[in-house]
Amino acid sequence: MVVSATTDGGQRKIRRNGSFGYVVPALLLIAFFFIIPVLMLLMRSVLEPTPGLQNYRELLGSTTYLRVFMNTFTVAGLVTVVAVVIGFPVAWLLAIMPDKWSRLVMAIIILSMWTNLLARTYAWMVLLQRTGVVNKMLINLGIIDKPLALVNNLVGVTIGMTYIMLPFVILPLIGILKSIDPAVLRAAALCGANKRQCFTRVLLPLSLPGIASGALMVFVMSLGYYVTPALLGGTSNMMLAELVAQFVQSLVNWGMGGAAALVLLVVTLVLYAVQLKFLNPNRAR
Amino acid sequence: MTQPFLSIKGIRKTYGQVIAVKNVTLDVAQGEFMTFLGPSGSGKSTTLYILAGFQDPTDGDILLNGQSLLSTPSHKRNIGMVFQRYTLFPHLTVGENVAFPLRIRRVGQAEIAERVSKALKLVRLEGFEDRKPALMSGGQQQRVALARALVYNPPVLLMDEPLSALDKKLREEIQFEIRRIHQETGVTILYVTHDQEEALRLSDRIAVFSQGEIDQIGTGQELYANPATHFVAGFIGDSNFINAEVLSSADGKAKLALPGGTVIDGVPMHAGKTGGKSASLLLRPERLSLSSHQVANGLAVTINDITFLGNNIEVSTRTGNGESLSVRLPFGHEAIASISRGDQAWLSFEPKSTHAFA
Amino acid sequence: MLLDFEKLGILRPFLIGLTALVCLFLILPIVFIAALSFGSSQWLIFPPPSWTFKWYQMLFADPRWLYSALTSLKIAAIVTVLSVVIGFLAALGLNRGSFFGREALRALFLTPMILPVVVLAVALYALFLQLGLAGTTVGFIIAHLLIALPFSIISIGNALEGFDKSIEDAAILCGASPWEARIRVTVPAVSHGIFAAAIFSFLASWDEVVLAIFMASPTLQTLPVKIWATLRQDLTPVIAAASTILIAFTILLMVLAALFRKGRKA
Ligand SMILES: Nc1ncnc2c1ncn2[C@@H]1O[C@H](COP(=O)(O)OP(=O)(O)OP(=O)(O)O)[C@@H](O)[C@H]1O
Ligand SMILES: [Mg+2]
Repeated sequence: MVVSATTDGGQRKIRRNGSFGYVVPALLLIAFFFIIPVLMLLMRSVLEPTPGLQNYRELLGSTTYLRVFMNTFTVAGLVTVVAVVIGFPVAWLLAIMPDKWSRLVMAIIILSMWTNLLARTYAWMVLLQRTGVVNKMLINLGIIDKPLALVNNLVGVTIGMTYIMLPFVILPLIGILKSIDPAVLRAAALCGANKRQCFTRVLLPLSLPGIASGALMVFVMSLGYYVTPALLGGTSNMMLAELVAQFVQSLVNWGMGGAAALVLLVVTLVLYAVQLKFLNPNRAR
Repeated sequence: MTQPFLSIKGIRKTYGQVIAVKNVTLDVAQGEFMTFLGPSGSGKSTTLYILAGFQDPTDGDILLNGQSLLSTPSHKRNIGMVFQRYTLFPHLTVGENVAFPLRIRRVGQAEIAERVSKALKLVRLEGFEDRKPALMSGGQQQRVALARALVYNPPVLLMDEPLSALDKKLREEIQFEIRRIHQETGVTILYVTHDQEEALRLSDRIAVFSQGEIDQIGTGQELYANPATHFVAGFIGDSNFINAEVLSSADGKAKLALPGGTVIDGVPMHAGKTGGKSASLLLRPERLSLSSHQVANGLAVTINDITFLGNNIEVSTRTGNGESLSVRLPFGHEAIASISRGDQAWLSFEPKSTHAFA
Repeated sequence: MLLDFEKLGILRPFLIGLTALVCLFLILPIVFIAALSFGSSQWLIFPPPSWTFKWYQMLFADPRWLYSALTSLKIAAIVTVLSVVIGFLAALGLNRGSFFGREALRALFLTPMILPVVVLAVALYALFLQLGLAGTTVGFIIAHLLIALPFSIISIGNALEGFDKSIEDAAILCGASPWEARIRVTVPAVSHGIFAAAIFSFLASWDEVVLAIFMASPTLQTLPVKIWATLRQDLTPVIAAASTILIAFTILLMVLAALFRKGRKA
């Protein structure tokens, strides 16, 4: 496919250094088991049960499914905002604190990131249940007097997802903040700016491209998450990825499943393209 | 006694075991151009950073017009500074950068515009208001930084090796501009450099830093003609040192025996703590004269090499016990014609013009 | 000043306090699970009334847990080898080649990483149903290979970027055949990238849930699928025991990676 698209000059290049051969195994794998199946699934969304766009009409027209979209975007948005608001100060401190301390914090962040996703989700299921530690603590502190429902709803999903996404906000932001010269902020201070002014007029604008890029990445990742929402959210608070799975697994409705998958795919790719084009911090600098 | 404009009193700064600044005391007059000159790691930047309030001294005080600055945070010190690295705000245009201190001070819009254009005119960058810093050369960026530091009329301007990232030609051009700006504005400048030529060209007075202390403060000429320490003598101007034996010393003058037996008298002596028997004798290459025949009180040397340097000629020589001495002769000096490599020759000098350091 | 640790002023205790809280937030669930796996309460009461090993005994007494762990291990090992080999070749081609569409190809290879896994899972499931690969080990391996491969291409690609090709050319001039030179010179020189690729590929497969849920059959389950299936029924402390073993395994890998990095520096 790629070869036939090349010009004469291109083909000569291929033959000359022969490097194209090396990518063939990977290319075959991707073509057969990624591109083709995804295209086939999308085809089914317009062919089954009968050719046409009725699957999309149903998906985008019914309030049931509209609620799923709402849930998905609300949770993803909430998770993104909370993760950025909490993650930015942590990344800030990590970027400037002495190495021996930042190493410890980094180890904790990476440990939580590498820990099996199901193990982490299970931990939150236990922690947030009605008789769980979080409810117990809140009651003991006198903040509430009856246990709150923290799982099987969007609160649980948001907490669990924020937990998963925090490292993805913190780690890239550390790099962004480290690339800002502290002398620029010293200059701002000598110019007369107090801490708040230094923050709003210099530090924040300088890290904004990085924040936006990280936020968008977390948002996109959250949109497509399946495991954590399925376990912490319960059946009545479905998100888009669960909907896709449900159409295929329980309802065996490949047409609707394909349509929902396409919506998820398109949203993801569009946001990803936006990120590459406008928010790539490497390019902005 | 009138109180000094800016007074640095016994500043000391340590980082754990590391002593960055040992003991720095210094008075600066209003409108003076004072340069901190010294090798890398001698504590120049640290001293400046303490003045700016980026670091707190371990000990000592800083007074501006008799008032201690230490309890004032950086943003209220009203001091200007140009840094070694480029510190323009990359997200703002040149005009916005220069306007930044005025915006913070809530100066009116019309006045901001006027003062920004005046400041940019001062650094000869009129018409660059709308450029982003990333699109400017290093020299231009430092000039914008200078405008930004001067636009709020600070009483003191700090400059930490602002030109070290620039090439030599550009550096000289901006040195000239800095001198002009100093004269036009009358601002008091504290300037850090490790380039002696830059220090000599710019400064009213120079403070020579060495290992966290000031060895000597004075005009360039004073430092050159009357160095107080071996270090200053070696750092300012070109220098040769040879070992000599102290025969006697009194009233700051010494009688010395040079290798080869020559005895000279009346050499200004800068005694160290030891008052020991051996001393280092400073001989400036341009104060030595050379002749191909023996002279009274001369120092016998062998000619190693002769290098033509344009308007003068450098002759490198070696004494009997292997110490190298270089001699600078004006172009066309008569001795040149009669000597060549490997020859024996004699160096002579005025004892009063040399210095001995015990 | 906002980026000078010593001069943060009141911001410093604020930032340190917040970071400490975030650290607690990140570490507590993990510690908590480990503690509960030794607690005697069936209902995961904390603090546990007493301590016990019975959940571990139950875990090891049930052959299905062990069998699923072995399945995971087998699949992850095969995926790791394939991912490193194919990834090395692809990274070499992308690094050395100057063919048309190279950048597009690189982006294509990395898409499985950014795509929602559930889309890939559903699509592959449909294909495998037709090909008869659903519920087979081969199906599992292909699925996991797709998401492991980008990690290999990135890790090895980065290492190759820092490797000067002229060293390989020098070996060829010394008489080595191109492949001999590659195996004897290039592979050792990028070994840290290969090591990283292997670890990431292994973890990508070992921890993978979503694809596995779709690929699994009642007789062929990986450990995450077994946990998932159990979790959907109840929150038994046996899962805490299994999770604790997984966490210990993760820490072991982290320590290994850290030692490896230290060894390279020394
Ligand atoms: N934050 C710090 N922690 C530890 N040591 C420091 C720190 N800052 C400076 N030092 C040490 O203090 C000494 C003086 O540093 P300073 O930056 O003042 O030197 P300098 O004269 O400006 O040198 P240069 O010409 O290289 O800029 C150096 O030995 C340096 O290593
Ligand atoms: Mg310095």
